Amino acid sequence: MQLTIQASGDNVQAISYLLSKNPRNLYERNHKGHLVRLFYSKFTETELEATIFVTPDPIELVKGNSNSYDITHYINDREFAVSSIFCSLIRSALGTALNGQPKEEHTEWVNHPFSFQFEFGPVVSSLSDNQLKDLFEPIGYEVMITRPEIEYSFQIKDKSSARSISLKGMKTLQEGLRHLFVLIPVIDNYKHYYIDEKEIEKLERYGDGWLKDHPMRDYIYRQSLRFKEVYSIVENRKPEEKKEEKESKVRLNDLRYEKIVDTVSQMNPRSIVDFGSGEGKLSVRLGFVEGIKEILAVEPSQTAAIKALGRFEKVKNKEKFVVPETLWGSLFYYDERLKNKDVIILCEVIEHIDEYRLPKVLDTILHDYQPNALIITTPNREYNEVYDMEDVLRHNDHRFEWTRAEFRQWCTERNHRDIYSLKFEGIGEEHDTYGYPTQMCVFERKED
Amino acid sequence: MQIVLPHAGIVLLIGPSNSGKSTWLKSMIEKEEILPSEVVSSDAFRVLVSDIEFIDWRDRPKDEADNLMDEYQSISGEAFSMMDSVIEARCRLNKLTFIDATNLHPEDRKRYISLAQKNNVPILSIVLDIPEEDLLVRDEQRDYPRGKRRIKQQYQTFKREKRVLKKEGYLSLYTLKGTEDIQVIRRTNPIEKDIQNGIDIIGDIHGCYKEMILVLEKLGYQKNEEGLYLHPEGRKFVSIGDVMSRGPESLKTMLFFYEHVQKDVAYMIDSNHGWKIARWLDGRDVTLNHGDEKVEEEFKAYEEEYGSEKAEETKQTLKEFLLQAPSHYVFTKNDVQTLVCVHAGIKDAFIGKQSEAVRDFCRYGDTNGFDEKGKPVRKDWYISHKKSSLIVWGHDPKPQPLLINNTINIDQGVVFGGALTAFRYPEGEFISVQASQDFSGADDNPLREWEKNRLNPPNIGKFVNGYSVLTEKMGEIKIHQDIVKSAIDTVSHFTIPIEQLIYIPPTMSPTPSPSALEYYLEHPKEAIDYYRSHGIQTMIAEKKHMGSRAILFLFKDTEAAKKHTGFESLGVIYTRTGRRFFDVATEEELVLKINQDLHESGYFEKYDTDYVLLDAEIMPWNLKAKELISSQYAHVSENAILDRTMLKEKIAEASRENMELKGWLEEYEQKLENAYTFKEVFQKYCWEIEDINSIQIAPFHVLAHSNETFFDQPHTWHMEMNREFAIRSSLFVETEYKLITSEASEEEVIKWWQDITSEGHEGIVIKPEFYISRNKGKLLQPAIKVRGRKYLNIIYGMDYLLPKNLERLKSRNTGKKQKLALREFSLGIEGIQRYVKGESIERVHECVLGTLAMESDPVDPRL
Repeated sequence: MQLTIQASGDNVQAISYLLSKNPRNLYERNHKGHLVRLFYSKFTETELEATIFVTPDPIELVKGNSNSYDITHYINDREFAVSSIFCSLIRSALGTALNGQPKEEHTEWVNHPFSFQFEFGPVVSSLSDNQLKDLFEPIGYEVMITRPEIEYSFQIKDKSSARSISLKGMKTLQEGLRHLFVLIPVIDNYKHYYIDEKEIEKLERYGDGWLKDHPMRDYIYRQSLRFKEVYSIVENRKPEEKKEEKESKVRLNDLRYEKIVDTVSQMNPRSIVDFGSGEGKLSVRLGFVEGIKEILAVEPSQTAAIKALGRFEKVKNKEKFVVPETLWGSLFYYDERLKNKDVIILCEVIEHIDEYRLPKVLDTILHDYQPNALIITTPNREYNEVYDMEDVLRHNDHRFEWTRAEFRQWCTERNHRDIYSLKFEGIGEEHDTYGYPTQMCVFERKED
Repeated sequence: MQIVLPHAGIVLLIGPSNSGKSTWLKSMIEKEEILPSEVVSSDAFRVLVSDIEFIDWRDRPKDEADNLMDEYQSISGEAFSMMDSVIEARCRLNKLTFIDATNLHPEDRKRYISLAQKNNVPILSIVLDIPEEDLLVRDEQRDYPRGKRRIKQQYQTFKREKRVLKKEGYLSLYTLKGTEDIQVIRRTNPIEKDIQNGIDIIGDIHGCYKEMILVLEKLGYQKNEEGLYLHPEGRKFVSIGDVMSRGPESLKTMLFFYEHVQKDVAYMIDSNHGWKIARWLDGRDVTLNHGDEKVEEEFKAYEEEYGSEKAEETKQTLKEFLLQAPSHYVFTKNDVQTLVCVHAGIKDAFIGKQSEAVRDFCRYGDTNGFDEKGKPVRKDWYISHKKSSLIVWGHDPKPQPLLINNTINIDQGVVFGGALTAFRYPEGEFISVQASQDFSGADDNPLREWEKNRLNPPNIGKFVNGYSVLTEKMGEIKIHQDIVKSAIDTVSHFTIPIEQLIYIPPTMSPTPSPSALEYYLEHPKEAIDYYRSHGIQTMIAEKKHMGSRAILFLFKDTEAAKKHTGFESLGVIYTRTGRRFFDVATEEELVLKINQDLHESGYFEKYDTDYVLLDAEIMPWNLKAKELISSQYAHVSENAILDRTMLKEKIAEASRENMELKGWLEEYEQKLENAYTFKEVFQKYCWEIEDINSIQIAPFHVLAHSNETFFDQPHTWHMEMNREFAIRSSLFVETEYKLITSEASEEEVIKWWQDITSEGHEGIVIKPEFYISRNKGKLLQPAIKVRGRKYLNIIYGMDYLLPKNLERLKSRNTGKKQKLALREFSLGIEGIQRYVKGESIERVHECVLGTLAMESDPVDPRL
């Protein structure tokens, strides 16, 4: 991680006063084992070149992190890339320049623009070269980006993911450094670095006079204050991405829950198992079903189960509400607590399981647990046409999505002992050709 | 008069003071008929707790008398409570105890009766019925006379109680008018037998007479002129019960055992069917079902053939025989109890004891116990077997002899078409005879049920709150609740199905201590020293391939796969974390090719196996780790090279004018070189993948075939097998190895390691000669990896060899890693052994889940 400051023209030697670094000496300071170093490679009447860099202590860098049980914690680019770590390590070395407070006799140079070239790298960024230019060009730089050639003995990547950036412009030293201190953390692929509210203050101080009018101001803010909570302090604006699509999804979820609750209500059950209950959105609705005595919300994810508990807590004092009991369970094990219940529900669950593992799961449910009824819902793949989705599945964890015919055939095969009668329905807005977005099958045990 | 004393239990003496209890006991001790420790006396315990044997409060003013009486009562209270503890301890330990106290009060006697019952030992009483005058005379002569009034009071009580004693339920009740001319006969424990020349225990025969004879012949028994089967070495055979019912020749089999037991050449144990038939023969109202009705039919036929008189005689004979069959036998070897034979099960506390409760348990096993909702739970009694004695049992048919927790089930369901198993003791060998057919005609054939249920989903209740696995290699391994859940979550979302996931390889520790050499973090010396210091002289050093660890579970055909896993696939290849190694299509293609290659070379036929389970490394590394290599290794190398190149050039340019920069320049020249080494190293393990022929599989352990495991084989055998695989299929590659047996071969291995690692190879793995090695009973690390200097760049970072870095890295601790390695190793072996024995997938999964859970426990990933 390095930054080279070049300047040309008259009076460039004054820059050494602004930096408060003697051109005749090597500068080296130790910050917890990391060496912050600066040297001059040119110092003439019209040319100045100084490089500040950090030689990090790789072992110190990986110490005491919660993520230390993954190899990527030990082998990563943090040791090299210019990042917020770099900025904080060199901040005090460049303090005089950043704050524009050299010795009294040199203050005249603080606001004096020089012809600067700032070269820094390696830059690790998900931004394209053009996007990088969009960050620096509006504030008056000519931007050059170099990317080294790569060569490997086998095909692994198309181009190097390391770049260096060079910026040319007439700037005061303070302006230049402040631009870098704001924008380096913005372009860096953020990793392992906690950002708190102090960051806002820093951003406002270094951004004073230029950030307000920067065309990418919002982006810069968002990137700087990566934690949504922090960002929302500054901007009380919600992300507006794909609002419309989300709305339709929410509506489909509600319709699905409504449909299940209606179906269940007609069965007058006393006990229900909600398999894969997630955050408890369905279970909480089932708690209001007339005559219900027991709801078992089965979920293997601890975090989801905690959210579900919170959801149940909120309504637990409402009249006639039966608080669901959260069970930690899995479809691939036998759980005697689930035997002989009135209704078992698999709401949007099966499509998250590898298809070849499903027959056994259904055998356990239908023939060991033996509920009076089993309700299964799953997406209708045909309907994806309506969403213009082509070959994509609706969720990246979906292992499959079935057409109506496939679902029907699969359900029929599951009932191989023929002790259930099957009923198929749709949920959501019906399309003439493609049917409903969600399909549902109700297995009801035949009377003995 | 003769008094017969059982080997254990309580002998309650009953009689007022001065009736001669203590005197009689003393005389028996003197005659060495009983031991002093077998007598527990209330007087002695009074002295023991209070130094006072007796307090006399006669002729005292009332206030003093009252207080003295109080004191005497509290002394008595303490004395009796101590005494009762001693008696109970002796009962638990199956000892005989005489209770020397008056025992005149019914509540005292009741207490001892229930104590005997609770501990499953008999209780008998000996009443000393001495005339009142004699008592009074004796009282006056003793050291602390009790006084007339008390003696008279006691005698009144005695007279009253004497009449009800009979009904109190003693094993026997003796009434003595005096203690002269009493002959004491002591019995030994009738169910404790010496193994003498060895015994052969036979599983449930169920009237399969022919198979029984075949087993006896296989065991070496020969028929003599009397028709008795005798062993030339004098061995005896033991039936663990259920010789009758369900099968074709119950009567003949029962008579066979009757003859042999009478002649003291065989033993037979009580059992559920035996007990039922005994009670039927006894004329009790029992329903004959579950094959017992066949016995009745046989008796009818017998009667028709031999007449009713003979039939009645035979019935009586067999009734007595069956009723007398003991609940179990305890066999001793050099006077030490080492073996217990029982029909359905036994609790440790019951061993060597005979009571109704014990007999009942031994016949039916543990059928009690209910869960919190009142549902019956079949408790697996053998789980609580903690003693070292081996328990051999039957009753519950299993396809293979089942060894769990030092118990062996040898009922292999011969009557259901399975096999009749005999277990040779102390040799520990199994001899078995296959049934000629299923004789039972039962719809609920337990062997078929077992087979059908073998692959049922494991019961989550057994795991979710944490559990223990009893392993043969390391005993009990505890799996804590907090790590189980994440493992179950993994199994539910990411792994291959439970039925295919039968093994997870253990983690492997690097050298226990860092290299003593200055420029190395790891070196073979420390691994070799570890084994040598633990008594291992011969080691094997295997080249460690750098790819991704994989388990290959390969089947002969889809039918075999269906039978063993429930899935019709030719095989699965999965990672250390139980995930599918390849995408489905590639896996199918690979597995098919291997299957064809193995068939062409006759592998499955040669080893007569349905499957082979291989532990292997699959290369190249980029096959599985492409994303990691691209986004971490290649990416890091590019950044390092760019950073260091730019700096080196800048410093070099400036140093021409500034000599002070020479130090920094040298530093960065070195660092740039390190970055290039780093880049070179990771590419070494990668190559272009055109098609499946670019893939190399290096197996290093053949873990199992469908009929056996190979943990008893030395590693040289496994290496030879691997060479065979490389010959059979082009997908497999051989692994180089060398043996370490001497200083010279050690030097050679170190040199070899130096050579291959300086070219960038990962390193070597050093293992003891045998798969499972111990030192003083303690399991040793099954393998230790020694990675090369170059390779470790991609683990510890490109600058790890800089002295100030290496020094700090050497303080690493491998303790936790080693502990995990041993546990996971034991779990792995246990799981495979259970699987091969045809145990339920739940019992196999217990081991797999354990390893997965341990792997979710964080350890430094660089080790």
